[in-house]
Amino acid sequence: MAVHVARDVDDATRAVAVDERAELIAGGTDLMVEINFGRRRPGALVAIDRVQELRGISRSGRVRVGAGVTYTQLLADDAGSAALREASRSVGSPQIRNAGTIGGNIATSSPAGDALPVLAALEATIVVRSVRGERRVPFAEWMTGPKRNGRARDEIIVAAEWESAGPKQTFMKVGTRNAMVIAVASLALVVDASRRRVGVALGSCGPTILRADRAQSFAAGVLDELGWERQAAPTETACAEFGALVASAARPIDDVRGTAAYRSHVLSVMAARALARVAVLG
Amino acid sequence: MSEFSVVGRRLPKVNSWAHLTGTAKYADDIALPRMLYARLLRSPHAHARVRSIDTSAAERHPGVVAVVTGRDMPEKMGIMPSTQDETALAVDRVRYVGEAVAGIAATSEDAAFEALSLIRVDYEPLEPILTIEEALEREDVKIHDEAARANVFKEVHLSFGDLDAGFASADHLRDDWYFFEGNTHAAIESHSAVASYDGDGKLTLWTSTQVPHYLHRELEKVLGIPRTRIRVIATPNGGAFGGKSDPFAHEFAASLLSMRTKRPVKLTLDREEVFYAHRGRHPVKMRLRAGVKKDGEFTAAHLQTWLDGGAYASYGIATTYYTGALLTVTYRIPAYKFDGVRVYTNKPPCGPKRGHGTTQPRWAFECTVDKIASDLGLDPLEYRRYILQPPNSRTVNGLRITTMGLGECLDAVGRATGFSRTHRKLARGKGIGIAGSAYISGAGLPIYWNAMPHSGAVVKIDRGGGVTVYCGTSEIGQGSDQMLATVTAEALGVLPEDVHVVSGDTSLAPVDLGSYSSRVTFMAGNATMEAACKLRDQLLSVAAEALAVPVERMTAALRRVYDSAEPAKGMSFVEAANLAEARYGTLSAAGSYTPPKGIGGDYKGAGVGPTPAYSYQAAVAEVTVDLDTGVLTVDRVVTAHDCGRALSPVNVEGQIEGSAYMGYGEISGEEQVFRGGLHKKPSLLEYKIPTSLDTPKLEAIIVETVDAEGPFGGKEAGEGPLNPVIPAIANAVFDAIGVRFDETPITADKVLDALGKRDNRGVPKDRIGPSGLAEPKRDPGGAKRRLGFSTEAREQRISRVTGVETATGATGPGPEPGEPGSGSR
Ligand SMILES: Cc1cc2nc3c(=O)[nH]c(=O)nc-3n(C[C@H](O)[C@H](O)[C@H](O)COP(=O)(O)OP(=O)(O)OC[C@H]3O[C@@H](n4cnc5c(N)ncnc54)[C@H](O)[C@@H]3O)c2cc1C
Repeated sequence: MAVHVARDVDDATRAVAVDERAELIAGGTDLMVEINFGRRRPGALVAIDRVQELRGISRSGRVRVGAGVTYTQLLADDAGSAALREASRSVGSPQIRNAGTIGGNIATSSPAGDALPVLAALEATIVVRSVRGERRVPFAEWMTGPKRNGRARDEIIVAAEWESAGPKQTFMKVGTRNAMVIAVASLALVVDASRRRVGVALGSCGPTILRADRAQSFAAGVLDELGWERQAAPTETACAEFGALVASAARPIDDVRGTAAYRSHVLSVMAARALARVAVLG
Repeated sequence: MSEFSVVGRRLPKVNSWAHLTGTAKYADDIALPRMLYARLLRSPHAHARVRSIDTSAAERHPGVVAVVTGRDMPEKMGIMPSTQDETALAVDRVRYVGEAVAGIAATSEDAAFEALSLIRVDYEPLEPILTIEEALEREDVKIHDEAARANVFKEVHLSFGDLDAGFASADHLRDDWYFFEGNTHAAIESHSAVASYDGDGKLTLWTSTQVPHYLHRELEKVLGIPRTRIRVIATPNGGAFGGKSDPFAHEFAASLLSMRTKRPVKLTLDREEVFYAHRGRHPVKMRLRAGVKKDGEFTAAHLQTWLDGGAYASYGIATTYYTGALLTVTYRIPAYKFDGVRVYTNKPPCGPKRGHGTTQPRWAFECTVDKIASDLGLDPLEYRRYILQPPNSRTVNGLRITTMGLGECLDAVGRATGFSRTHRKLARGKGIGIAGSAYISGAGLPIYWNAMPHSGAVVKIDRGGGVTVYCGTSEIGQGSDQMLATVTAEALGVLPEDVHVVSGDTSLAPVDLGSYSSRVTFMAGNATMEAACKLRDQLLSVAAEALAVPVERMTAALRRVYDSAEPAKGMSFVEAANLAEARYGTLSAAGSYTPPKGIGGDYKGAGVGPTPAYSYQAAVAEVTVDLDTGVLTVDRVVTAHDCGRALSPVNVEGQIEGSAYMGYGEISGEEQVFRGGLHKKPSLLEYKIPTSLDTPKLEAIIVETVDAEGPFGGKEAGEGPLNPVIPAIANAVFDAIGVRFDETPITADKVLDALGKRDNRGVPKDRIGPSGLAEPKRDPGGAKRRLGFSTEAREQRISRVTGVETATGATGPGPEPGEPGSGSR
């Protein structure tokens, strides 16, 4: 198997364009598993882990996180999203966090990808580039199914971008143990006080990352009353109602990690706790 | 000051440096000139006839040097001589998904792996039997034609004392059903073997095994070459826990491939294959009836067990008996009946895992004891103390008890946690639970009948004062090399670091039966002590003579041989050794150990259960149950263990903590479960062994009873400490939420179900668990249809990926991809 170590993004886009058997490899924490299980046999690899351009985080105005940024980096350098930090902290183990990248998570598009509910709730934009030029895709349109998205084979994800949303945000995940665990259900909640916007996104609860629209409007209503900028706790009833609305947005199934009934229940609990936690942040 | 200079001191483990720095040489680290790499083809069917195997295309594949199949080694084998029902590779039937059918040696592992897909196996699928209930009933489908009734492998019925009278005189009766789910060892090192057949016709096999001696015998039988030409070397094991104590397909395949090619051959299992090799904890359904007086005194107990054995015998006979044998050694039981049944199913064979066969019934029994305490309003700690089986006694089933420290263990964990003050007084969601248990310090009988010692050791002293101990024990990380060095050093008056340990080598060391049943410290320790003491006598007598001191006053410690009345009067160990060699010739001595006779009953089946000494233990667990998410957090586990005497306290504590960790894993989520015969989670990502973030705070307390027959008073510490942890956690969960979990593992989903919160219609339950043997599903052919579907789906995936039109199951089974819409990655 030929491996091309790309110097920069242009080099990488050319390399994938000329060889149609080529696949990108960043941290390899998804791809190598697939290769080892014999599920994928790329004809050639284009390694992008040395591309500096993909490894930056910038916060001038919009937040921009390069696709090659690892979870360890996201924990060390503040990308201005507490939820993304929490999600990064929950990924795998230190070894996986040292290697795995946010770009790989976006490309794999697993419904259990931990960065993805956060990007959805932040209403991030995915920036992709190929020899044909650059495209910007709202996260809501990115995933088309479990492990499916609209990326063309020769397109490289270069970054994820979003408007900074302030401190009121959190990520929660339930798994069957506390580390090295794929989410049984996960949830990101972002309250963007300055834009009067609530984002709720669910992981591992359906074929793609799901948004809970009714729960979002309900929470916005609660915050209208409480005051968006204040640090005031919503009532328990309001939290429970929010939890129920979040759970009703899920489309879970039974699998080896958990039952559909458990997923729904635990989502409602997580959502209620998330709202109570986020409302008092400031 | 202690009477010992080495025993009981907190010294580092002898081989710890190599382990800590990554320089320890495991089997897979071995690389020999011209070495080939082998892989095994495994069955994608849970049950099928093998009509034919065509290896010609694989043999032509670039890099492939040799291919072997079951027909090359048709001799029956298995760990227990009386129930050998396996062959090295499947001959005409496969009985579980993952059973090995062929082996390929090639110049690279990749070439061997690729060539697997070129072997054409013509399978005729048969209906698989997947549950205990089906196995008991289905006469029409036989996994082994030899089974007399349906798929029953072994059935035992034992009765002691007057059961009817016992139950009739009881004031209070309990009748509970339990189910303990199967789980596996998950040792971090996967099995690996390197075989080298040399020009002189001698075969050397380096392998991660717990039982080099038994393997030696099976290699002779299967390969058809005399044992004189075979040498087995047990490499350091990266954990084993019972999972490396059978003879395995890969060991025979590597050996035969090396014999065929006259080149060394390495065969290392990948993680998925380890789940198929298995031999782990049996799933066991149990019914336990107990009768007690008003004060809780037992009048009778009746235990029935149904073991799901998987496809082959393994240690199954012993496991079946062990589910009943040790129930009597903790608390007084005047009448006891035990009925055990082990069935065959089309799943990877179950075998011994730490606590072998005793862990499941101990959990059930300790839950029943807790229920009795609760029914009668007794403190569960005080109650256990009240019904203790006394030391130096006989149980109703004829087992000899000597030292017995369960009372001290209960007291110790009670003191450390304030158990009796806290129990039943915590807020809802918080709980504390207790349990006791016991284990053996080695089985009283060997696996094949013989009158020879169970363990032998040779100790030799060289002219520079160096000491070497030779013993056939296998170091599996439990510290057996440390034990050999400690006993030798203490007896001779040197330090463990002066002792070279040569273990696990059938050519260099005398036979020790192996690292199973926690027998090594007691048996190999005694053999080593006998050998070392012979040399010690020689050293003391020459030194006494030279110093003109009566020999009774002489002693040896810390590299000196001296007058105990006047310690300044003495000589160095080297001087004494040189004098002794001049007097007696080469300084070498042998010792052996055979357990005493008369330590068990004399009925049929009395062979399992006796041991020269029982170890005892108690644990207290503190838990938190999240009432909304159902998540169980075990905050703390305190275990006290009676190991007779702690020869190496640090090592004993390590075993106690490791056991608590493992027990916690078993009750909190580890499970070896299947869908239509396919393992649901054959990877360490999905098979949830706890991580450091999950692990409770663990505390180990050593209780010493100084056993008169043990080496320096020592008993076992490797397995027993696991047993009380599981019921202590189950009992703590009851204390927290008032629900009895008569089923393992305790998952969040089940907790919510119990709390009536799993769905909107839920009602709270007071127990989760079976209420009898389930009706076998009336869906003949259903299992086969389900399996056929998944097998097909898997093959389509394989051919999609590899582009190779595969023969059935060519690359062996893999985990199922997440179905569309699933939450899987
Ligand atoms: C033991 C283990 C535990 C894990 N635990 C978690 C967890 O808790 N949570 C979680 O979300 N994930 C987890 N994962 C999955 C994985 O670590 C993450 O999805 C990670 O983000 C993948 O990033 P990577 O750089 O390693 O991707 P790679 O494996 O290098 O690539 C994955 C895929 O993305 C493509 N790709 C990579 N970068 C780009 C790019 N810039 N543009 C276009 N395509 C690209 C590759 O071609 C490949 O198809 C775990 C994996 C393992 C092995």
